[in-house]
Amino acid sequence: MIMSRPILIANHLTKRYGPGCPRCRDHTGAQHNSNQCQACKTVIACDNVNLRVFPREVVGIVGESGSGKSTVIKLLHFDLDADGGEVFLEANGKAKEFIPAEKNVLELSTFRKRQLRNSVMGIVYQHPHLGLRMNISAGGNIAERLLMSGWRHVGDMRDRSALLLTRTEVPVERMDDLPRNFSGGMQQRVQISKALSNEPALLLLDEVTTGLDVSVQARVLDLIRRLQQELDVATLVVSHDLGVIRMLTTRTLVMKNGQVVESGLTDQVLEDPQHPYTQLLVSSALH
Amino acid sequence: MVKFSDWFDSSLNASIHAVYSFAFIDEGAKREIRRKTLKAVAIPGYQVPFGSRDMPVARGWGTGGLQLTLSLIGTDDILKVIDQGSDESVNAVNIRQFVERVTSVQTTEDTTRATVIQTRHRIPEEHLKDGQILVFQVPIPEPLRDVEPSERETRRMHAEADYSRMWLFLYEDIVRYREISIGARYPVMVNGRYIMDPSPIPRWDVPRLHQADTLYLFGAGREKRIYAIPPHTRVEPLEFEDHRFRVEDFSGRRCTRCGRDDTYLDELIDDASGTRVYTCSDTSYCAKTEREKAV
Repeated sequence: MIMSRPILIANHLTKRYGPGCPRCRDHTGAQHNSNQCQACKTVIACDNVNLRVFPREVVGIVGESGSGKSTVIKLLHFDLDADGGEVFLEANGKAKEFIPAEKNVLELSTFRKRQLRNSVMGIVYQHPHLGLRMNISAGGNIAERLLMSGWRHVGDMRDRSALLLTRTEVPVERMDDLPRNFSGGMQQRVQISKALSNEPALLLLDEVTTGLDVSVQARVLDLIRRLQQELDVATLVVSHDLGVIRMLTTRTLVMKNGQVVESGLTDQVLEDPQHPYTQLLVSSALH
Repeated sequence: MVKFSDWFDSSLNASIHAVYSFAFIDEGAKREIRRKTLKAVAIPGYQVPFGSRDMPVARGWGTGGLQLTLSLIGTDDILKVIDQGSDESVNAVNIRQFVERVTSVQTTEDTTRATVIQTRHRIPEEHLKDGQILVFQVPIPEPLRDVEPSERETRRMHAEADYSRMWLFLYEDIVRYREISIGARYPVMVNGRYIMDPSPIPRWDVPRLHQADTLYLFGAGREKRIYAIPPHTRVEPLEFEDHRFRVEDFSGRRCTRCGRDDTYLDELIDDASGTRVYTCSDTSYCAKTEREKAV
């Protein structure tokens, strides 16, 4: 099999809160079990993370709270500004016109970043209120992304929203209701519809099932797996839940204190963990 | 010193000129306002911040428009001031008399004669020519204020032409009411770049901003902003492909005074009979039509 080009390459991705100093590296990381530098008190949220996502692949990032996994996804979605590293994205469709190949997208202007994000990425956050406007109808939330990509026909946008809501198992009759009045699972499904509305090349899922009860979790995971197979979209899944990682992903990175401590095929990582932290993580999972 | 009561005594005009510079505001302030106006003309639809001065009327009563008028007006100019189309309302009369007092320029009610027209919430019905300047009084210069309360955020949205929130607002309006429910202050796209608040003019006047022969200037005194539409600029009301912009519908109605059926009409309730009657909002044009009929 010929290996295709990765859709996403992230090299040496770094984010810190604080001034940073030459001794930060000596104080932080998994081997020191801390992400705060004792010398300058800087918090290293993620340090030197390298990541590749290939077309149609699902990659997972697993780790405990504070390990920096959500920071990675926020850096990739330009929600946060990185302090170091580079990101290359295979632009698709319209974005090709303004994103030169081999361009570190972290160096783009905020305007270009937003254009790129609108045309290439879709994101689902843990908290629906981060991804949805609660006082705008569910259909309007989906339409917002379409409006960003230049749609100007109300009827067409409503047809597309209805289609997406059907696919994510939200009753179309509730399209004009406010997501505020929806259940948690339904809000999450609207978020997924919104993320998929512009046919993204890269889907980012940040703890999508955390906070949902188990049966709803199972339905949302089923839905994601089905959509992922139907749409062939490359996906990056961040979760602290090994069950989610096992169910969705083919490759996994394990993060601890802002660093990647282990990576490999999901089955391999979960069945034969090498790093002491991964071993602890796997043995602590409920069965 | 000029006493407050002396302002209302026109025989004292001479002494006012001795105390205040021509057109009330000092030359340095005028120069700043002209510079900001030039910038506004150079970037159609962009809101230029300016140092709004204290005026002898309260902010929110046309001080933005007044400062523009005072910094532009010269001794040869002929001024017209209207408020909602009327030359005779209190706001219009006060502002006209004030400018008259501090500049001694000629004033008129005839739109075609005026070189500078200061207006609140209307564009005169008669065609505005090259060389005339229309100065709008603007209460809220920020078209995105209804969708985003933060000034820092709206400035970012303008800078990046990130207007999806405004479009979303219109989309939600259509979903809820099957039509865009904005009456006055209908947002327009200027020169394909900036979304602009045309001040609270009715929809009726919005198409007249497009490719006009006249220079349109907008002054917001309270919010300290100046913006402009230079002559022959593209100005498009925001609309969807399947929900087009439309103006107020006065079909079957006409002005009870002059009989015109092609002007923007005000609705009045006749107290005695309780019936609705309609009259032209532009009073000087209405009177002109009546005079022409009488001849």
